[in-house]
Amino acid sequence: MGQPDPAQAAAPYNYARFDDYVAAGGDLADEAAFWAAPRAGEPAADFTLTRLGDGAAIALSDLWRAKPLVMEFGSFT
Amino acid sequence: MFVYTREAHPGENVPHHDGLDAKLAHAALLRDETGISRDILVDDLAGTVHRAYGLMPNMTWVIGRGGRVAYKADWTSAANVEAFVDRYLAWRTGNLPETTPVMYRTEQVEFRGTDRQRFTGHLLRNGPRAAQEFEKAAEVWGRRSRAGTDIG
Repeated sequence: MGQPDPAQAAAPYNYARFDDYVAAGGDLADEAAFWAAPRAGEPAADFTLTRLGDGAAIALSDLWRAKPLVMEFGSFT
Repeated sequence: MFVYTREAHPGENVPHHDGLDAKLAHAALLRDETGISRDILVDDLAGTVHRAYGLMPNMTWVIGRGGRVAYKADWTSAANVEAFVDRYLAWRTGNLPETTPVMYRTEQVEFRGTDRQRFTGHLLRNGPRAAQEFEKAAEVWGRRSRAGTDIG
């Protein structure tokens, strides 16, 4: 058995068609996931992400330890 | 700071991500087209960070220096975030006398711009298919029995 293809494994997350995603209830599941995520007062999840431009590995905890962190999530649209 | 996730409305010009190189390229497109000057951190291809924080396409979180959630909103309202951050920073610097933080959960309607042409223009940047698929999704939303926003 070979290694799983990362792109294939991530395909349900990276949906190709928005209308199909909504018709299947993906948007409702996303909303439920948001409210299931940590609430105010609870510990935030720490991850390391890649900074666009220089490729630096940035830990969220390094950012929020320096000063309160405002995180906006989004995409091109 | 801005976390770049998946393309909410993939189209012919900006399709869904099939690899990390495409994701990085689309994040650069976002930076170059919209002029975001904040740091943009790119999530991994599987959306690990996006999943952990709740998968909404345009949400905002504020995390305090101790690593606890201070604010979360499933859609970003700049005015709403700014009002909270102003109060939060005032409290942190001792400028909200005789107050203490308490858990407080708000759910509200919000007031968005009604310039549909502008929004459609954004969809069309991704490709005509993105605009068509949004219209089809709107039909699905119309068939769902959901709370209304007639609050006047």
